[in-house]
Amino acid sequence: MSVVRALSHPDDYVLSNHRNHGHFMTYSGDFVGLVAEIMGRKGGVCGGYGGSQHIAYRNFHSNGVQAGMTGIGVGLAAANKGRGSPGVVAVIIGDGTLGEGMLYESMNLASTWKVPVLFVVEHNGIAQTTYTRDTIGGDIVLRGRAFGLSTWRVSDRDESFIDEVERIVGEVRSSGLPGMLVIDTGRLGPHSKGDDLRDPAEMEGLVAGDPLMALAARLSASEVDDVKERCKEFIVQIEQQALAFPPAVFDEAPEHVFRPVRGVDGPRDTERLPNVRAALNDALRQLLATDPEVILVGEDLHDPYGGAFKVTAGLSEQFKGRVISTPISEAGITGAGIGLAMAGKKPIVEIMFADFLTLCMDQIYNHAVKFPGMFEDTSVPLIIRTPCGGRRGYGPTHSQSLENLFVSVPGLTVLYGSHRHDLGHLLVNASQRWDNPTLFLEHKLLYGEKQDAGDYVEVEPDGGDIGAVLFPTLRNGSDDPDVTLLSYGGMLPVTEKAARILSDEEELSVEIVAPALLAPLPRETLLRLLMDRPRILVVEEAHHHFGFSAEILALLAENGYAGRVARLGAAPVPIASARSLESSQLPDENAVVAAVMDLI
Amino acid sequence: MATPVYVPRINNNDDEVKILGFEVVKGAKVSADQILGQIETDKAVMDVTAPEAGYLLGFVGQPEEVVKVGSVLLWIGKTAEEEIPEMKADPGHDGAGGASQTTAKARLLLARHGLSVDAVPPINGRVTVEAVERYLAESGGKVGAPRRGGEAAVQPLDPGPNVAGSVVELTREEKGMASTVSWHRDFAVPGYIEIEYDTAPWVEYAKFFQEQKGLLMPPLLPLMAWRLIQVVKEMPRINATFVHGKRYEYQPVNLGFTIQAGEALYLAVVRESQQLDELAFVNGLGDVLRRAAGHNLRESETSGATIGFSSMERWKVTRHVPILPPHTSFMVAHAAGHAGKAVLGASYDHRVLNGGQVVSALKKIATPPKHQ
Repeated sequence: MSVVRALSHPDDYVLSNHRNHGHFMTYSGDFVGLVAEIMGRKGGVCGGYGGSQHIAYRNFHSNGVQAGMTGIGVGLAAANKGRGSPGVVAVIIGDGTLGEGMLYESMNLASTWKVPVLFVVEHNGIAQTTYTRDTIGGDIVLRGRAFGLSTWRVSDRDESFIDEVERIVGEVRSSGLPGMLVIDTGRLGPHSKGDDLRDPAEMEGLVAGDPLMALAARLSASEVDDVKERCKEFIVQIEQQALAFPPAVFDEAPEHVFRPVRGVDGPRDTERLPNVRAALNDALRQLLATDPEVILVGEDLHDPYGGAFKVTAGLSEQFKGRVISTPISEAGITGAGIGLAMAGKKPIVEIMFADFLTLCMDQIYNHAVKFPGMFEDTSVPLIIRTPCGGRRGYGPTHSQSLENLFVSVPGLTVLYGSHRHDLGHLLVNASQRWDNPTLFLEHKLLYGEKQDAGDYVEVEPDGGDIGAVLFPTLRNGSDDPDVTLLSYGGMLPVTEKAARILSDEEELSVEIVAPALLAPLPRETLLRLLMDRPRILVVEEAHHHFGFSAEILALLAENGYAGRVARLGAAPVPIASARSLESSQLPDENAVVAAVMDLI
Repeated sequence: MATPVYVPRINNNDDEVKILGFEVVKGAKVSADQILGQIETDKAVMDVTAPEAGYLLGFVGQPEEVVKVGSVLLWIGKTAEEEIPEMKADPGHDGAGGASQTTAKARLLLARHGLSVDAVPPINGRVTVEAVERYLAESGGKVGAPRRGGEAAVQPLDPGPNVAGSVVELTREEKGMASTVSWHRDFAVPGYIEIEYDTAPWVEYAKFFQEQKGLLMPPLLPLMAWRLIQVVKEMPRINATFVHGKRYEYQPVNLGFTIQAGEALYLAVVRESQQLDELAFVNGLGDVLRRAAGHNLRESETSGATIGFSSMERWKVTRHVPILPPHTSFMVAHAAGHAGKAVLGASYDHRVLNGGQVVSALKKIATPPKHQ
């Protein structure tokens, strides 16, 4: 509360946590809004969506995952710094949070980026029921110093506490550099449900040393009673006002959280580009050149290296300070990307291999998609680009296709185009016309492929399929096919080979359907196309159980599809490194042909 | 002899490379190690050089084409006139055992018209759409009216019985039986004829044979089966089937003999039985039947019957109509006699045999060989 009180600039941010009430009331003064929110009333500050733990109000944000907001704080601070604003970001955590690695990624990132974020540790010595002396190794203050942060330790029992905190916040603001402030304090009550196991004598000691108690000691008994009485009356008043609001109800229960498509399509000249890599590089260059808010963040992006797959080659030299090579901190940079996006930037984060997306999962699942869903005023136009897929012998943790995990994340857009799509155009549209957190998947083997629509045509998108107009589904082949192969991304070249064999050697009429938008799934568009087809095989490189193809088949089944279906993907085993082993694990054209023959 | 130059591997991770271009033309004289052209992956470009001096006979891959590492890129010969050896038509599709004998589309067409693939003469060894369509045209609409409901894929399934029960998988033998019965229903045009005959001469002959050969038992049924094989020599058409509108007379006589072994009903086959003399056949059939009783039939003894013999004498059955095993047209039905008389019948495929021929064959079988 002392830190929040010391924040004075309109660009200052408070990122609080699941224990946010004091921070929020200090920030907003909106007592009724908070109480109504906790009570699930319509007049709550977040309309009842966030409850006690998740509050968004102007530049105040809290969430329920301990170190989850720390990277976001770094991103917000970076956005402030980039705009030349003196705004400071206060990220408030407890001493228990010192056990989470995300915090250290964020501290390191703040240090290397030199951005004004203050990590505030409310150190009360206990986390839920466990003393942190039993769970924290080493020295807390030294943690901050080890990352090169200015680090202070103060106690809320000190008479000069408020002034000292104000001075520290001012120092962070004037230096523009990150810091860490450890505040020794005491928890006077239980964590939540009367589950405090501490010795009563210890509790009495804490109460005795509490600053409010110290204040009371300086007043006469009647003054203290008077204050208590007024507080009681105030609380009763607040309660009555909160109860006067009706319970929070949805006018219409939301079915999705996506912001609508905006803007108009821009021109793209892709003919001259030799391959997918060049098309993506060109799109990024176009974005950087035309939109000052676009910023690229990822590992090893800088020239002359230009990223592990050279997609950002030449960009860091051309756009100084906007193509940023980061520490190896996938979760941290995803968080920073969310912060940048919340502050109005258009971050494009590159994760070097899609396999590492698992490190980003909390940031995606609990943060990037939650804020736009919970809070109308918050959007997260973040793109995470990442190369995925196998057939290069990179082994179990560098060859995977993880879309099966991410298509199930509510509110996440998952794009997986192919060389048949205009991938650069998809990327530009994702950045400029789609203000939703988006995972942009790129198969490693497609980078060298020529972008060529061939004889594919765009399937007319159904108006009810959100995003379908930006990220089209393609199809080619017969209108009256014997078999329809539904495939996407890096499986498309394999599927095409199989289609040729089926057509040339088995005399079949084959249709290929290739969506780029995997989630939100363009259901109506696909249903309209597929419902009267006699046989459908869904081909994917991912582990297909519980995956994308499972969803397609479920969609068909739910709608009374009468034909035959099958799906083909990778078995639920690690992908081997030896090429001879890998090639028997990932479906190739022969496997697709065999699956079709089984269908026939 | 022409020497192939293979597509080299540029790095471990790329199984395919793109041909950038060639620096020589067809027919050109090349020296050893001369650069012939370039290939590339998305990482690197590499020269392809001549392994030896000679003449460039021709290219297999073309510029801009993506080709497999290890496939033939071009050919070099000692002289400019050498022939390039013939290549496999589709080097790209080298797995999954190659194309099927019947194309998938042809199968769909067969299913739509309710036809068996056996009925359709292949073209160049494959049953293709063209082959099926030609067959349909030649049959003049007598076969192959499209089945109602269109293709199998959208046909409603038999919903099954509407009474509580549980599904039991068929044993291998039961599946075989189901398949046989289905062939009989779907493809043969079955008929049945029987004659009455005196059993005494056969009983006497069997006893005589037993004594002469010093056997434990009179082998009546094996001897009657042997007689059937001898009749084939006079009437080859009973050892035949019907293929593509023509009679197909078998060269060997593979005698199928039904035997019940526990729950399983086998058609145990004695292959090339026409080559055996009487005793060798009796012993051979005995061996096969013993193996069948022990469920130990060899693979070759479970299929390939060209003619059949079935007896239900053991169950005192006095008349039965056997099912024709697939691709046979004559199966003898032997039954128990009464008061010196018995019926000897045969199921037959009316496309191959007429009633008179069947009666003629049965009369011969009902008469044992002469003996001293």
